[in-house]
Amino acid sequence: MGIDMTNAASTEVLIDCRNLWKVFGDRSKEAIASITQRGLSKTQILQEFNCVVGVSDASLKVHRGEIFCIMGLSGSGKSTLIRLLNKLITPSLGTVFVKGRDISGLDGPELRRMRARHIGMVFQSVALLPQRTVLENAAFGLEVQGIPREQRNEAARAALAKVGLSDWTARYPSELSGGMQQRVGLARALTADPEIILMDEPFSALDPLIRRQLQDEFRQLTKDLGKSAVFITHDLDEAIRIGDRIAIMKDGAIIQVGTAEEIVMNPADQYVADFVAGISRLHLVKAHSLMQPAEAWRATTEGRDMTHLPRCTTEADIDTLIACITEGDHDAVAVEDDGRIVGVITVRDLLRGVRGEAAEASGPSPAENAA
Amino acid sequence: MDNAAFVQGFDRIIDDALFWLSDHAAFLFDFFRAMLEGLYEGVLWLVMLAPAYAVAAIMGLIGWRLIGPAFGALTAAALVFCALMGLWPETMETLALVIAASVIALAISLPIGAIAGLVPWLDRALTPALDLIQTLPPYIYLLPAIALLGYGPATALVATVIVAVPPAIRLTALGIRQTPREFIELGQAVGVSPLQMFLKIRLPFAVPSIMAGINQSLMMAFGMVVIAGIVGSGGLGETIYGAIRTLDIATSINASIAIVILTMMLDRLTQSAAAGRPGDRT
Repeated sequence: MGIDMTNAASTEVLIDCRNLWKVFGDRSKEAIASITQRGLSKTQILQEFNCVVGVSDASLKVHRGEIFCIMGLSGSGKSTLIRLLNKLITPSLGTVFVKGRDISGLDGPELRRMRARHIGMVFQSVALLPQRTVLENAAFGLEVQGIPREQRNEAARAALAKVGLSDWTARYPSELSGGMQQRVGLARALTADPEIILMDEPFSALDPLIRRQLQDEFRQLTKDLGKSAVFITHDLDEAIRIGDRIAIMKDGAIIQVGTAEEIVMNPADQYVADFVAGISRLHLVKAHSLMQPAEAWRATTEGRDMTHLPRCTTEADIDTLIACITEGDHDAVAVEDDGRIVGVITVRDLLRGVRGEAAEASGPSPAENAA
Repeated sequence: MDNAAFVQGFDRIIDDALFWLSDHAAFLFDFFRAMLEGLYEGVLWLVMLAPAYAVAAIMGLIGWRLIGPAFGALTAAALVFCALMGLWPETMETLALVIAASVIALAISLPIGAIAGLVPWLDRALTPALDLIQTLPPYIYLLPAIALLGYGPATALVATVIVAVPPAIRLTALGIRQTPREFIELGQAVGVSPLQMFLKIRLPFAVPSIMAGINQSLMMAFGMVVIAGIVGSGGLGETIYGAIRTLDIATSINASIAIVILTMMLDRLTQSAAAGRPGDRT
């Protein structure tokens, strides 16, 4: 897959949402009150108030330059959650800070300005206006901001060029394939040059080949342009391909947040474990989560010399490690960091890693460090 | 005979109210009448400006451009046929009446329909009112209208406007209301103002429905034309009404043919205008 997981984000927090709740129904106010006062569960709320809990106590932070995936099955509340981030849906409880501003306090025009300038959005349904050309669709965001035609068309052309649609500007959406339409959707979000792009299952309706292609292009483009993205998907493979970090949602709640490796190696519960069971570890799991401390290895091997072992970095994945060991008839590989050997991975460690088990004697697990 | 007394009392109130209106509000209704007749005369002057053959040629050309050569030729031939039957002035009077009534009806119903599409309670309040208008026999409002506006095209116009308004309101409201949800979300996410949401997103999606409403209004107006002949509308309606009274079957059939020609012509032209927009590509 060749995705560079080290290309991680800065520490600046762009989106910070704290304890978000969304309850749908006529009696949602009472339901919320009883949640805060009596701590009722989702089922109890449904029985007592006939209200549906869409999002329950969700907190997350999205850093600048990060692609943050929210993965969950249909009905898990992920589409509701992403709409809380730009207040397309107003939270029942909790706060959302975008670039440090509490968006619940914004009035109509301020909220519109925030959405227009700072938060782009791409929809699963694409939602291209059928009576407008590709160029006019891409320029729509700037058009409603009152940007002069020349200027907005120039920005739209540049955005369309980034997604490879320069030759299609004068066409109508109905003349484009599904994949091309979604590129226009992405270009429309990029035209206004927002820092944050919200992607609501953008590639779900596309066929697998086009989907993979768009996933890679999207990740590349987002990284090149230095954008941050929140990406909703029901497909764990997609989340792993695209996301720097992944949040797993179930029944409206976020049950785990971490990198793909952290989630695969240390699933928070059985639900997540079942989910990641079928995922190939070959490119996900890195040396630093497999290695045993050099001292422990030396103790079990009665002081064997480590200097003859092949070397790898802490970020080498299982595939690379297997290649290292098999090439020179070794039974272990040394992991070095800053020119110093920090650990050793034996064939046994490697096999355990393929099965999704972390090193036996490692320190605190990465999942606990994160969050 | 409590019932009879009650009914008599009710009738007297209605009569008194009508007399009171025609006594005290005469200036108002005279003004309305002048306005309505002015509009009607203006449209009539316009359609009578050119001779029959020129009008037939122009309509034929429009039909050709909008629909096709066959329709264009048919339109021109049909209009010439109206003139050959000796019914040209009546045909144009009817056309003027329908156009004037439709203009007034659309001026009323498009804004009301658009607001009803945005405001659910107004829509709920309008529905029974429109149902009432559409089920009420037209004779019921023809008589009071004669009392207030007198015998002539003004009364015919009002009666025609009344039947032409409901379909346009309903279909405009429907079109505005039925904007696909994902496009409303798009607008919000892009940060449109309420006015932009209406003009750039809701209205374009509503155009086919609004055009269907305009078409339906026209058709209702044509349906009213014959009935309006009773109150002195002039035109083909009055010709048919006169022919029925004198059992002149031939003339009534001629006039009916002319009405059918006019109706079908305008029906096809407005329908094609609705369908020929670039936004309807699928």
